[in-house]
Parts: sequence; C-alpha cells; structure tokens
Amino acid sequence: MSRLLLTVWRKELKDAIRDRRSLMAAMSYAFFGPMIMAVAFFAVVNEATSERDLEITVKGQSYAPEFVEFLAQQGILHKESEQEQPIVVVIPSDYQERLARAQTVSIVVQADYSERNGSGDRSRVTRAINSYNQVVASTRLMMRGVSPEVVQAISVDRQDMATQESRAAMLLGTVMVFVLMSVFFSGMNVAIDTSAGERERNSLEFLLAQPIRLFDLVAGKAAAASSFAMLGGVLTLIMIPIVFIYVPLDKLGIDVSFSVSQQVLLAVILIPLALLASVLQLFVSFMAKSFKEAQTYITFVMFAPMTLVFVLEFTRFEHVALQYLPVTSQHQVLMGSISGNPVALSAMLVGVVSTLLLAVVLMFGVQYKLKSEKAVFGL
Amino acid sequence: MIEVNNLHKSYNDVKALNGLSFGAKDGEITGLLGPNGAGKTTCLRSLYGLIKPDQGEALIDQVSATTDPINVRRGIGIFPDKFGLYERMTAREHVQYIAELHGERGDSLERKVNQVLQDLGMEDLADRKTKGFSQGQRMKVALAQAIVHQPKNLILDEPSRGLDVMSTRILRELMFKLRDQGRCILFSSHVMQEVATLCDRVVIMVKGQVVANDSPQALCELTGKASFEDAFVELIGTDEGIVA
Repeated sequence: MSRLLLTVWRKELKDAIRDRRSLMAAMSYAFFGPMIMAVAFFAVVNEATSERDLEITVKGQSYAPEFVEFLAQQGILHKESEQEQPIVVVIPSDYQERLARAQTVSIVVQADYSERNGSGDRSRVTRAINSYNQVVASTRLMMRGVSPEVVQAISVDRQDMATQESRAAMLLGTVMVFVLMSVFFSGMNVAIDTSAGERERNSLEFLLAQPIRLFDLVAGKAAAASSFAMLGGVLTLIMIPIVFIYVPLDKLGIDVSFSVSQQVLLAVILIPLALLASVLQLFVSFMAKSFKEAQTYITFVMFAPMTLVFVLEFTRFEHVALQYLPVTSQHQVLMGSISGNPVALSAMLVGVVSTLLLAVVLMFGVQYKLKSEKAVFGL
Repeated sequence: MIEVNNLHKSYNDVKALNGLSFGAKDGEITGLLGPNGAGKTTCLRSLYGLIKPDQGEALIDQVSATTDPINVRRGIGIFPDKFGLYERMTAREHVQYIAELHGERGDSLERKVNQVLQDLGMEDLADRKTKGFSQGQRMKVALAQAIVHQPKNLILDEPSRGLDVMSTRILRELMFKLRDQGRCILFSSHVMQEVATLCDRVVIMVKGQVVANDSPQALCELTGKASFEDAFVELIGTDEGIVA
C-alpha cells in the first residue's frame, strides 16, 4: 500500500470524524435498527408463546391424578371455577379399576366442535390424551415382554414450521439484513462528501492536479468511506446480541448469542462488502455535481441491493449461486450464523473474491471517470 | 521553465486553444493576459495535465504534461482557477496535506509548513478551522498550499481575486521573492495594472492564440501608446472583458 494512499485515507478520516452530525446520522442505523427489531420481537414472542397454558375443566380429577399431572406437564391445566371452560374432560369413576385390569378407559372430551376458533385447543387436548395412551400402552407391552415398537409401525414426527415460529425466524433474518444495511448506509455520507462534496466546494481540480496516482486517490477515499461502513456494520453486530438479551427468544428456540470468534468472522466477511458499497457510492456520486444530487442518485442505487436482499429474505429463495455473489453471499453467511447451518468456508471465500472483484471493476470505473475532462470540470 | 508548443483544444465547435505557443523562463514572472474566455484557464489546466490538448504539447522543465503528468506536477505549485477549502480542517492541516501528497514527511514536512505559514503571515490563522475564513484568508491558504513544497515552477490562475490591499502586497512580495530565488512564475490575469507592475514578460492571448509576447515597456513601444492599457486594447482590438 502506498504512502500517498495512507495520506489520503488519514486526511479523509480526520475530516469525516469532525463532521459530528453526519457521523451521528451514520451510526444511528447501527443503533436504532436492532432496537426497532427488538421491540417488534417482543410482540411476536409474546404472541407465539401465549398459547402455552390452556385452561380446561377436568371432571373427576381425583380418579386419575397421574393423568391430570401428565396433562399439566403438556400445559393443559384444570381451572377451578364456577363456570365450565369451553373444553371439558370427563374422567370416569372406574378409571383406576379398568386401568388395572388392562381394559379400555373411555375419557370424554366435551366441547363445541362446530366452533372453529377452538379447533387448535381441542386437538391439543386430544393429542395430549393420545400420547398418554401411548405411554400407558407401551408400559403394558413392556411388562409383557413385548417391545412397544411392534405396535408402532410408523411414527409421525410433526415439525411445526407454521405461523408464529417461522414469522419469528423471518424477523430475525430481517435483523441480519440490518447489518447489511448499516454497512451500506454508514459510509454513505463520507463517500458523498469526498466525491460530490469535493466537487461542490471546488477542491476537486486542485486535488487532481497533485502528484498522486488516481488509484491512490480513489482507493484512499474508498478506504475512508469503507472504514465508516465497517464501523457501522461492526456496531450493529455488537448491538444485536446486546439488544436481544431482553427478548425471550429461547422460547422460540432461537439463539442469537454469538461467540466472539463468530462475530469476528462475520466482521471480516463484511470488509469486502464495505469496500464494494463505498466504491459504488463513490462511482455514483462522482457523477453528481452537488451533495444533494449525489444523495438522490445514491438513494436509488442503494435501493437495488437492499431490495434484492429483502426479496430473498421474504421469498426464501434458495440457489447455490447466492453463496458466491456479492451482497447475497454476505447475506447467506449472516443468515447461516443464526439458522445453525453455516455457509462452508470455501463458499465464503468465493463470495469474498467475487465481491472484491466487483469493487475493483468499479474502482477502475471511478478512475476512468476522473480522467475525463468532461466529468472533472463539469463541461 | 515552461514551454507551450502549438497547443490546440476544441470543445465541440468552440476552439479554446488555437495553436498557442509561448515560453516562461526561470527567474522571471510571466503574465498571461487576455480577456475573459481567451483560453487562459484551459491553457493552465493543460500545463498540469488535467486537460489533454488535441494537438501540441506543454513541457515543464522538459517533461511533457501529456505523457508524464505525475512528474510534471511534482515540479509545480498550483493556484487554481477555483479553489475550495475543507471547512472542518485547519489552515495548517490544509498545507500539511498538500505537502504530504508531494512526498514530504517528518521534520522536513514540519519545517516547510512552518516556513510557508510564516512567510505568508498566517501564524495566527494556522490552527483555526477554515470555516468562516474571509476571501483573503482563504486565498492565503491556497497560496500556502501552492508553494509549500518549494516548487521550481509556480502557476497561478488569477491569484489576486478578492484580495485586500495588505494581501495583495503580501502576494506581490512573495512573487518577487520567489522570482529572485530563480523560480519560474506564470500567472494569468485580466487585470492590466497587476500585469504591468508585476511582470517581466507579458503574453497577451486572444481566442486561444498569442497576439503579443514581450516586456510591458516593449509592448507600449510596439503599439506607440503611452499607457499599457491603451497598448493592450490596441493589441486585442477591443476593450471587452478587460479590467483596468
């Protein structure tokens, strides 16, 4: 790395850090993104876990204390009140007697079966009773020296992918998208200020007339902007586990406690992306004549990668190529880190290389543009 | 030493430079005088390689600005047509930045920066952020940036714009001092007074071409006019775009 590149980098960083307002604006993405998501999560988690305890009326509790205990373990509780609950379970008085003689016990589940809203609750109760049946039946077979598996030819494992849980997983994916977003947005102001801003304050011509290769100049500016992008990305990565300490995610079986090494890996993966984002921003804003104009263009351009990521996020589109392409590869790595099936190291490397390649191509684009008299002097 | 040989440059159908040739010697102040739109800025930009001429070449100390702009820029100090300052940085940081881009480091950097700030009487400005600087103060920062690396050639594009009397004096004395050190100074202007008092040689250009190239006195004699202003008007054939 040449010394002049470092000179430009240092100067641009110093200049940008002194710009408190844009510094705060940039970092606010990192702070408020995860926080907003955490609040949204509170709502979802509460909704998802509220069905835990189902209250029913059990008649004849005293006849089958173990059975009632079993139901309670499944979150189905007897409620002591004057009024009957919508679901009533009636245990016959000869329960123990028939059980002891290995005869079928008939338990009645009373409910309004035409009522649609309660169907989930009803089947939950039925399911619980059935599984108690399984427990008792298995014990009986074993006592007679027969493996319970003999009568269980097929077992069905229900994996509930439905509704609340998957919505929560989706939201968590959105949190990771915030990491990408803060990479794209945190360095934006710096990128604009060092390019369109340079032109706006009429310092571009003088700078270009200095004895410095265009590569060093552009790379120095890109390095400064991507330092900020990285700062935003890393801050978000740090913020996510901290904010989510307060959200009872364990109830949904989701874990966002990253290990330090995992966070470091994610941060490293973000470096090429930060560089790409900054070079892209430089490329776009060198076309603009003023800061405002550049902001307008960049908002459009930033829309593209963000839309891409959100579409992937919500449609759950999957393809091998996504692991290798810029932006999507980083997205996959981030998602992999929370979904528990991490992206292979080789795929990560390919993603890094493809991202860097695109950044280099864009870097040449910026240099090409700065060689054009038309672009420089706005002729 | 600056040499310009047969420069041509067109923008669409406008000919900004049309076979411009002149030279500026070391130890002399050369004024490039012409009405607005004569091609002065285009000419200076092609000297430091930001504009590629369609034809001809500009040589600075025998190095071509077209083929080796980086080396050319090492040997020149530039005071451009438009200069902007970074308002969150101090005057000293501005000067340091440019010196560093010219490869200065460490003690030598420190010494040269302090020297130029002192020469321009900027000690009290040096550590203030440039936001809110007056036009004259901004000019001084730009001048300091132009000369901090002690270039052998100095190119100034209308340097006296917006300067108050004191600053003009400082500029003038600085230019004389640099000339006496044997440096080559080329500056453009459309203010005749300035050119007449400062220059050893005047290059008058109109429509991208040189119409006269001599000392101010010689130009007066050439046209038979007593004052330089009249001589100039005579030479360019009009008094449009000229400030006395």
